[in-house]
Amino acid sequence: MAATATYPPPPPYYKLYKDYTQNPKSAPEPPPPIEGTYVLFGSSYTTDDVLPSLEEQGVRQLYPKGPNIDFKNELRSLNRELQLHILELTDVLIERPSQYARRVEEISLIFKNLHHLLNSLRPHQARATLIHILELQIQRRKQAVEDIKRRREEAQKLLKEALGTLDGH
Amino acid sequence: MDIISQLQEQANTIAALAFNTFGTLQRDAPPVRLSPNYPEPPANPTEDAANVAEQPKLMSAALVKAAKQFDALVAALPLSEGGEDAQLKRISELQVENDAVGQELQRQLEAAEKELKQVQELFSQAADNCLNLKKPD
Repeated sequence: MAATATYPPPPPYYKLYKDYTQNPKSAPEPPPPIEGTYVLFGSSYTTDDVLPSLEEQGVRQLYPKGPNIDFKNELRSLNRELQLHILELTDVLIERPSQYARRVEEISLIFKNLHHLLNSLRPHQARATLIHILELQIQRRKQAVEDIKRRREEAQKLLKEALGTLDGH
Repeated sequence: MDIISQLQEQANTIAALAFNTFGTLQRDAPPVRLSPNYPEPPANPTEDAANVAEQPKLMSAALVKAAKQFDALVAALPLSEGGEDAQLKRISELQVENDAVGQELQRQLEAAEKELKQVQELFSQAADNCLNLKKPD
């Protein structure tokens, strides 16, 4: 059995919670949630999860910027560009094989743009999923309301019948 | 799998097909004569001539098929027009409707529970009377 380090001891704050059952207010409150950036095990993370734009990653953006991007057409044109560049690469390899690097770089640029475009579709997908879930929930609730109304009416009917038979008796 | 993940997978597949194509062609291409000073390279028939000619055709057909598949997936994207604002408006409308229906449901539930309690009370009284536990009034 290899020698491993023992687990670190629990933090010493537990002593402060000795009388928690008697008086919940005597012990310190839990720390508030962190906002902004924080450092965890030496690397920094951020709580604001947003897709970094291509410029921030140092990649040239091939499709036009703007508020509303026509995703379908941009994806199709990027696909066509990709095929074209693959053909160019084969030609370069036949004629001037030492100049492959630039073509390969352009192909990887197109792929990066493609994936970035697909990733920027994800928020749209999330909202569409939310809309779908809300619609399903509304439909289920309406169904439940109908069911309860029907059952109540049936119960009332049964009670009236029972009353009728009792009185007639 | 949802369509965006399928599109991402298809993009990765195209990349894999592309570098497999180039790698295979580069590995299996027969040597070519570069300069008239050097003799013709020995034509090693280690690889079947048919194989060497067939592979580019098959691989490029696979590449084009993958690209067409990508286009088909793009066409199948259910992108609703209107963008972010229209979606947010729809979400708030649905939330309002959801709250209203939820309150209606709550009311019905409370009324039904009240009636249930009444019926249970009646049952217990009837049962007590049957069992003669209480003196009849």
